[in-house]
Amino acid sequence: MADPAYGGAATTAARGRLGDRWLVVLAVMLLVALIGIPLVRLLGVAVGGGVGNVLATLADPGVGGAILNSLWTAALIAILAVVGGTAAALATERGGLPGAGWLRAGILLPLLCPPFVTAFGWTRAYGPRGLADRAFGVEVPGLFGPLGIVLVLAVAALPLAWLIVAGALATRVEPDAERAARASGAAPSTVLRTVTLPLLRPAILSALVVTFVFAVNAFGVPAILGTPAGFTTITTRLYQDLARSSDPALFAEAGVLAATLVVLAIAVVGPADAWLTGRPATRTGESAGGRAGPTRAGVRRRRVAAFGLGSMILLVAVVPLVAVLLTALTRAVGLAPVPANWTLANFGEALDARFADGLVHSLVLAVGTATIVVPLGALLVVVGRRRGRGRSVLRTAATLGFALPGSALAIAILLAYGGWLRDTLAVILVAYVAKLWALGQRQVAGSVDQLPIEIVRAARASGAGPAAALRTVVVPLLRPSLIAAWLIVFLFAFHELTMSALLYGPRTATLSVVVLNAQQLGDPTVSAALAALLVGLIGVIAVPLVLVTRRWA
Amino acid sequence: MSPALPAAVRRRSRQLLAMFPGMILVVACSGGPGSSPSPTQPSASPATSPAATSSPASSAPSIEPLASPTGTITLYTSVTQNTVDAVVGGWKAAHPGVEVAVFRAPTAEVAARIATDLQSGGLKADALWLSDPLSMAGYADQGLLQAWTPPSAGAIDAAYRTDTSFGTRLLNMVMIRGADVTPGPADWKDLLAPDVKGAIGIPDPGFAGSAFAALAYFSQADGYGTAFYQALKDNAATQVKAPDDVTSGVAEGRFKVGMTLDNSARTAIKKGSPIALAWPSSGAIAIYSPIAAVDASANRATADSFVDFTLSPAGQTAIAGTGWQPVVGSGGPTPEGSQVSPDWSAAFGKQKELLDAYRAIFGG
Repeated sequence: MADPAYGGAATTAARGRLGDRWLVVLAVMLLVALIGIPLVRLLGVAVGGGVGNVLATLADPGVGGAILNSLWTAALIAILAVVGGTAAALATERGGLPGAGWLRAGILLPLLCPPFVTAFGWTRAYGPRGLADRAFGVEVPGLFGPLGIVLVLAVAALPLAWLIVAGALATRVEPDAERAARASGAAPSTVLRTVTLPLLRPAILSALVVTFVFAVNAFGVPAILGTPAGFTTITTRLYQDLARSSDPALFAEAGVLAATLVVLAIAVVGPADAWLTGRPATRTGESAGGRAGPTRAGVRRRRVAAFGLGSMILLVAVVPLVAVLLTALTRAVGLAPVPANWTLANFGEALDARFADGLVHSLVLAVGTATIVVPLGALLVVVGRRRGRGRSVLRTAATLGFALPGSALAIAILLAYGGWLRDTLAVILVAYVAKLWALGQRQVAGSVDQLPIEIVRAARASGAGPAAALRTVVVPLLRPSLIAAWLIVFLFAFHELTMSALLYGPRTATLSVVVLNAQQLGDPTVSAALAALLVGLIGVIAVPLVLVTRRWA
Repeated sequence: MSPALPAAVRRRSRQLLAMFPGMILVVACSGGPGSSPSPTQPSASPATSPAATSSPASSAPSIEPLASPTGTITLYTSVTQNTVDAVVGGWKAAHPGVEVAVFRAPTAEVAARIATDLQSGGLKADALWLSDPLSMAGYADQGLLQAWTPPSAGAIDAAYRTDTSFGTRLLNMVMIRGADVTPGPADWKDLLAPDVKGAIGIPDPGFAGSAFAALAYFSQADGYGTAFYQALKDNAATQVKAPDDVTSGVAEGRFKVGMTLDNSARTAIKKGSPIALAWPSSGAIAIYSPIAAVDASANRATADSFVDFTLSPAGQTAIAGTGWQPVVGSGGPTPEGSQVSPDWSAAFGKQKELLDAYRAIFGG
């Protein structure tokens, strides 16, 4: 992965000023092309009906309610996911738990599921007449409604928070400092409070931003779980407007809603980015005492903690997937999921020629997106290392793509580039990059931030050329985080549905589009089979992710 | 809402304009089937007896045969994939050398794609094949559709076509019940009975075009109105996203009864789900799935040929073969009772009003 960003970071001393300026120019140009121009076209739609229409839309109590609903659920989801993700990261990275590798894999499991599969799985597992209801007569009360949305999306967002915090723990928080505190007589809780958490602050804030934005633009989960309770969010309202957008007024209303989300994202993310900019880590090099060791908690306590964490993972991530699989195996909806009713016919119906084509397209797009987004993400991080006028604005701008609901971003991209690129894989690629740039940036941020410039300088001073310094010092230090970021972006691109469904052309259907079109044939058992196949496939591809994260141990 | 008035005026004048070629055609055909929208009253439905086999003879001779199709056309559609595949396959077999570039997606994505096209240089499709007449009415209203009468359209009941778009198949909104729920509902009002309280599933008109059509029907029908939805809510009905979700909910026993599409119910019953179809005695709400040629198409002859094929016996057979009730002739599932339709043109002007009234009851 040759990337100008690292070279720029490595040579700050000598050519710093000039190289840095070029990086800023490059970042600005890319942001304008990928996000700026599409966004302006989208705003054109929003105000196309006149300012009066915009105000009338926002004054509609239904719209106002939807905005409020989106805000408070997303805030709650972000808090839950980050508290849970931080606790889980401390447990797996510092707790010395037995079976930590398995626990990490389990924490990351929800990443494998596209949101519509997650929601489907939860209703089959914990809804009325779900698996738990059939087996034990219990169901999650309020699953259909805001509570369910918060719960399911928090579970889905937790791995994102965990990755950022665990990455920071592995690279940013120096075990030496923690050991020094312990050696000086501080209790573990004091170390956590006075050393570890303060060092984690940027990572935690970054995780809050990512999970909030992830939650506020989620569509699949609120659509399935919110509808029965009459609970509407901005994204579901926007989709309903699109469904009736043969009426131009409703298309304009969808534009207004999308613009509202952009404003919300700026309001929430902007201040956080301003704080994060110019706060690179303080780390100076490899820990003198090696990797962080376990705390001295008793073996029994560690076992109990591992068991607790494992049980949670089982309940929130594994059981819903099992429920999907059982539905896929059952002959028809409404029959008990017992072996007598099992069949593989649903899988047969799910697999047709389009599946193979879709798989190829999705793989190409996901590899392309991840390979582009990781260096782009690093670029923004490098640019944001320094305080300077407008630097934090760049990070925030990149986040807008991630904050926009997929349907709105796809419309924006089509408006901007549909004329040249329509029906090509390129237009989908542009949309994926615009959407996932921020995700890549936030995942890379933790590790690039802590790259000790001094080591690079030392290498250069000892006679290594820029390439040699990059190869022997920078890449090895960053490798785990870069690979993890690459895989996260790959996963999101691989199961992306909302944008693909709008952007694909006759010869560029992605796997998720194939799944959607088959799903619309109306047979839930076949849909479940498709979902199971999709998740299985993603799982096979994602195994490297688990292997990589294991190396953090 | 001040902008509503000019919009309505514009709409009316456009409608007049759009009808102009249709009127000429009517004169030319001298007594052919009425090509004006001719709304269907829900109480007295002309579609009650779909024995429309006698009408085609009168109009066929006076319409010129279509030019032979060549090249590629683009189709935007929300019709199910297997149905599109069957019809496109049949048309290509009949006309070697033609090609159809299909964009198939749910209604919302198709609508968004069309709206985006219109914002950036014009509609890129040559033909539109949608799932409900109201969306199509929006495009007719904007003057995007070709006003003409396909040679095969004469056979279609006047309730299921306009001067720009033509029904291809019928989606029937019906009731279903769990297999163990007896005697089960006989008509819509039985959904308000105390013995099914808290166990009724209905699809959300905000998401599903067919559910919106049902909302339009009830809002117009004598003795129902939007008050019917209030009564459903009072009987603790639950809204879910789509008709398929109602079917699953009843099959699983989460609901005892529900409102869904006959096709959805039949698919589940065929596979062995423990549910039964309950055809309303006042008639299923028939929603025709319209197809139209785009006026600005660069390859109009080919688009017209495709549109006509969907309405021809061969096209109708292909549609029936994928489990839908064809709009002309038999084949496919047979309706188990009468069929009624809302007055589509009246509903078209009131979409937002209806949806707002619904949302005030069911939330959202």
